[in-house]
Amino acid sequence: MALADSRALIAPKPRPGRRPPGLFATIVRRRTDYLYVLPAILVMLVVIGYPLVSTVFLSFFEITSSGERVATGVDNYQRILTDRRVNFWKITGNTLYWTVGSTFFATVLGFGAALVLHRRFPGRGVVRAILLIPWVISHVAAAYVWRWILHSDYGLLGGSLVAWGALDQTPVLLDSKANVMPTLIAVNVWKEFPFVMIMLTAGLQTVPEGLLRAARIDGANIWNQFRHVTLPHLKGVVLITTLLLFVTNLNSFTLVWLMTGGGPANASALWITQIYKLAFVGSPQRGLASAFSVILFLIMLGLGYFYVRALTRGNPDQGAA
Amino acid sequence: MTLRRTPELDRLARLHLSRRSLLAASAGLAGAAMLPRGAFALSQDATNAKTGVDPNRFTPETIRQLAGTITVDTAAELHALVPADTAGEVMYWNVGPTEASSAVEKRFYDEFLAAFATYYPNIELQNQNLDYNGMLDTIRTAAEGRAAPAVAKMPILWGVEFAAKGQLQEVTLEEFGLSRELFWEGALKSVTWEDKLYGIPTNNETMAFIWNRALFEQAGLPPDQPPATWADVVRYSKQIKDETGKNGYGMVAKENAGNTPFRYMPMLWAYGGSALDEAEENPTYQTSMINTEGGIAALQNFYDMYVTDRSVPTSALTNTQVENQDLFMAGELAMMIAHPSEYAAIRDRAAKATGQDKARAEEIVANMVYGLIPEGPVRRAVVFGGSNIHIMTEEVHGGPIDRDAARALIAAQTYPEWSLKNAWAGSNPANLRGFETEWMKQRLDEIRFLENTTSMLPYGIPFPVVPQSTEIMNVIVPQMIQNALTETLSVEDAANDAAEQINALAVRA
Repeated sequence: MALADSRALIAPKPRPGRRPPGLFATIVRRRTDYLYVLPAILVMLVVIGYPLVSTVFLSFFEITSSGERVATGVDNYQRILTDRRVNFWKITGNTLYWTVGSTFFATVLGFGAALVLHRRFPGRGVVRAILLIPWVISHVAAAYVWRWILHSDYGLLGGSLVAWGALDQTPVLLDSKANVMPTLIAVNVWKEFPFVMIMLTAGLQTVPEGLLRAARIDGANIWNQFRHVTLPHLKGVVLITTLLLFVTNLNSFTLVWLMTGGGPANASALWITQIYKLAFVGSPQRGLASAFSVILFLIMLGLGYFYVRALTRGNPDQGAA
Repeated sequence: MTLRRTPELDRLARLHLSRRSLLAASAGLAGAAMLPRGAFALSQDATNAKTGVDPNRFTPETIRQLAGTITVDTAAELHALVPADTAGEVMYWNVGPTEASSAVEKRFYDEFLAAFATYYPNIELQNQNLDYNGMLDTIRTAAEGRAAPAVAKMPILWGVEFAAKGQLQEVTLEEFGLSRELFWEGALKSVTWEDKLYGIPTNNETMAFIWNRALFEQAGLPPDQPPATWADVVRYSKQIKDETGKNGYGMVAKENAGNTPFRYMPMLWAYGGSALDEAEENPTYQTSMINTEGGIAALQNFYDMYVTDRSVPTSALTNTQVENQDLFMAGELAMMIAHPSEYAAIRDRAAKATGQDKARAEEIVANMVYGLIPEGPVRRAVVFGGSNIHIMTEEVHGGPIDRDAARALIAAQTYPEWSLKNAWAGSNPANLRGFETEWMKQRLDEIRFLENTTSMLPYGIPFPVVPQSTEIMNVIVPQMIQNALTETLSVEDAANDAAEQINALAVRA
């Protein structure tokens, strides 16, 4: 209530009978602000704007093996959605499975780790540092190490399980169509949960101790304190972290490409690995890859909108800009 | 004429071959029974025409006689072409030795760079060694981005794609002081696109078959005899798995890895199939023959070993040959198609091993044997591989190319000394004068089993010289194998699907 009142005092009241200022007038009035962000906008135009326009342009062409561009209209878009070899729907299914699975389990695991690490106990700093290791390791190193651990013939995991008598044979993980996605998701969760842990640890530190104390005095148990005090305070952080993770996972490439190359038989192919394959592997089909990228860009744009909305919620001034 | 029953005939018959093709295969095999050395005469002649390898000139015996008959002064020969005081620079990308390579390969690679600096002290050589499985994508992207190297040494399969795109400069043998008779015809064909030459061959090879004698013995198989036919390979693989628990055949089916076609095509060709029609006498490269009866029979062999018998490494779908080398060295794999360099690489690694591993690795090395790649109902075949060196266009290089510096580098790579030394453990010099040098004599003494891979030369079949070859060999063929082995498609459907893709590619081109 107090916050709302203070905003009311600060924000200029529109005068009755006067039209709100137009876009140009707003830009002129805020020209200094725009000058501050101009360098960033220029850089974005060069490194994002140009490739974007170029990709959209290329998506309406086919590039022949002799390097010629042949205009094909919307054929590439049509092929992506209908050609069984491009496998769009199967790969979309894989990507959603990967993204939702990875995001959900990384969030749950990261949240749990953050709650544990929020409590004071001897060696907390060491445990936190150890849990951060997966996040700090490069994707390339992690992919190679995990490939070795999970190798179907001489993997450390399978070999150890057989040596300890837990299994008769080494489990087939990366070479099995059924097991490859859950296995890759497990590795990705291992890689990503520390990020959630760090974000939520920071969030937990903003929960007012006074409110928790008051809840305790009112007789709230640990669950109720968490549900009615901690969780509402963390809602924003959880939302933003989840959205960030979701977008990151939709864009995943390195781990999957290096561990399986999207195989076996496309069982672990994701949107980005497929775009890479179309663009650079075999006889490159840059037009088709560009059309695929444009479709993906539109999906990402939609998600980006929700992300910005979540980020600026409760702050209409930022949202309007 | 009596028809002799063989495993191939049984297998083909099981696959409901047409009466006509069965009779043809039978006739061939009956002939084989009667005339052991002449049985493959027809297909062999065709093979010779493809590679230009004269089977009488390049036998283990004649190669030994040729070795050491000439002495070359590389510096003098080079300086006669490009003067020693030539100044300039050249950016050079190549697929060089990796961690898995033998010490001798690494040593000669470094020695070449040092030698070039002494031949041409004023030419700055910007050398970049790229991984085989990464270089193709890298160079394609670099070419699109106008940042390609001036000179690139590429595996034999790749060059034609860049030539067709107009990204390679046309060259003549004469400008490097070379002539046609110095190379095998098949090697020159691999750098020819629309009757123009776009590169110079640096090395050419055929692989052989390698097996672990001790594992054969344990499985109750003749330890000194390799499987004679591909049907024997399937049978041996199963027997080895059943009797020893070890993997039989070193299958490789990873996508976008050069190892896969090099290990699948010999069997496909042996059964009369081919990706296009490259194994035929007069190939037109118009229609796929990957789903012929023989093509399906070859894929069925892979299916039987992986799915039915489970006698090959489970990791075949994600493995390259490097991982198979590990399994072979650990005594977990009995046989595979291999370069002669694999003996040197495994021997080096055994020398570095310690403790119990060392004893085990040394035992494996002692039990390694090389032989000919098995034959099929139609022919014995192997990929005629190698590398070529090219000059990229100035457009894709993104600036002027110092032609003299490039010529100096290419000449140094293709003249007898380095054409031989850079192929020391794994290949042959593309420049046939290399066979006559004193270094060849030394090489024959140092590299074991070289004669087996040399004996495979007359059976070599080059990949189709079309721009779509890399997609066919590195993507469509492995995908076909993966579709069959994961039972995503039946064997027949997987072959038909691959044929459809190859034909569509030919039409699109």
